[in-house]
Amino acid sequence: MRGEGALLGAAGLAGLLALCEAVPRLGLVEDEYFPPASRVADALATELADDAFWTALRDTLTGWAIGLAVAVAAGVLVGVLISVVPLLREATASTIEFLRPIPSVALIPLAVLLYGTELRSVLLLVVYASFWQVLIQVLYGVQDVDPVADETARSYGLGNWARIRHVVWPTALPYVMTGVRLAAAVALILAVTAELVIGAPGLGARIAVAQSSQAVPEMYALVVVTGLLGLAVNVGARTVERRALAWHQSVRGEVAV
Amino acid sequence: MRRLLIGLAAGTFLVAATSCGSSDGSDGSGDGGKASGGTTTVKVGVIPIIDVAPLYLGQKKGFYAERGIKLSLTAAQGGAAIVPGVVSGQFQFGFSNTTSLLVAQSKDLPIEAVVNGVASTGKEGADFAAIAVRKGSPLKSAKDLEGKKVAVNTLSNICDTSVNESVRKDGGDPSGLKFVEMPFDLMPAAVAKGQVDAACVVEPALATIKAAGGTTIASNFYDVSPDLTVAMYFTSREYAGKNPELVKKFREATAESLEYADSHPDEVREIITTYTKIPATLLEKLVLPRWPAEPDRASIERLAELGQQDGLFKKTPDLDKLLP
Repeated sequence: MRGEGALLGAAGLAGLLALCEAVPRLGLVEDEYFPPASRVADALATELADDAFWTALRDTLTGWAIGLAVAVAAGVLVGVLISVVPLLREATASTIEFLRPIPSVALIPLAVLLYGTELRSVLLLVVYASFWQVLIQVLYGVQDVDPVADETARSYGLGNWARIRHVVWPTALPYVMTGVRLAAAVALILAVTAELVIGAPGLGARIAVAQSSQAVPEMYALVVVTGLLGLAVNVGARTVERRALAWHQSVRGEVAV
Repeated sequence: MRRLLIGLAAGTFLVAATSCGSSDGSDGSGDGGKASGGTTTVKVGVIPIIDVAPLYLGQKKGFYAERGIKLSLTAAQGGAAIVPGVVSGQFQFGFSNTTSLLVAQSKDLPIEAVVNGVASTGKEGADFAAIAVRKGSPLKSAKDLEGKKVAVNTLSNICDTSVNESVRKDGGDPSGLKFVEMPFDLMPAAVAKGQVDAACVVEPALATIKAAGGTTIASNFYDVSPDLTVAMYFTSREYAGKNPELVKKFREATAESLEYADSHPDEVREIITTYTKIPATLLEKLVLPRWPAEPDRASIERLAELGQQDGLFKKTPDLDKLLP
């Protein structure tokens, strides 16, 4: 099952590469603006040999990791706090729904004004975008707590903390993991976007420089790198999810991906 | 209750805003920047394009170091990130085109130009900026642009003002021109595909168009003034008021770098490869701009007049307040 999936995945990727090679070669698009996959691969090899590329990659990953960590920690804390205090939940519901849909990218002028083109600008955007992903999942997760289980815990005299630890948290964990997985992808997108638009150091800024230098294959090579990063982030997040939820029926009953 | 949420959600804003404020404080006191052993680090917001090559070259040659300045060149994406960065003190200096500075001045933004940035080559038909058309285009001169679609990098800025002037100088009426906004690097494809009839384009995108067989029909910067000051380095009025000595040193070092770059084109082409990714095939063909040490006031006055005519300013910009 697993081998077959990997084989199909590889076949799909090979097909895509063949298509990217053929389309410019056949003259369907001009190869100046969409170079064939082989030329992009060449440029990628040159990039990989460049120290500055690895620095940029590290910058991007730093922004991603710190932003994601802050967002997850804040999302879980705030989410649990809001959920267990009914008054707080009602008071904040409309505010959350108001703030959540504001696109992080719209905060770019504010980020630049506050922090210029530094890492902190990237973090502002990353944290803002991924925080809501986690928070919303936590809120739904806590709402999903079985009232009977909760009442049982109460009648056994479990305190607030013990109920959060033994009833609320295990119920919410699958939701939290979904939130983390979504947030991990969103955080990467926003980290690259911020670098691209603001010019903060990282892969995004490198893409922008390649673009303004008319270095087309190099630009696509870097775009491919961001795609691979996204893939790695998703695989990583799924692995963490499976580990953390090994006991949960959704994972136990699940066919390995 | 609501306050709590907003407080938490905006936590990042506040925490870092305070630290930002404190770093501003240390910048404002003393000589500005981080002084260590007589050297002051200044952050300059630049766009990673050919125009700023003299700064990279001057830094390499030690023109700044010998005046006790350590340059920290930060590449930003366009003036949209640089002007607010300079005003808020994130950058001590910034690079911006002259029209944007005029617009900022007319809006009373507290900025002032410090030293020249880059100028037109003064050679018609061989400038680093041009109105370019695709291979085989029926458009032969600026007058033919009447009623056509022209790509510019920013609407209501130096490109449309200068293209209008090129059309006027050629005996045409620019009022029917349709300007389309797009980044310079996308213009070669847009011109080749006929999505626009012409483009106001600068190097290295200009070299790409020429390499694809495109031609230039006018030198729009030259048409404004043969010695047009296209861009300048600027600082905030607050910073200039607090650090007159440092600003003076930065001006001297930059002027020396500009002169050096102007007389050493080979070294310029070499330094460009360190901060851009311009392919070697294009690098040789690039038309380099001119880097005079002083801005040309007459050309800036002309640019301001044209901008006024095109309705770019609500209030006439005050050149005495803007220029060094």
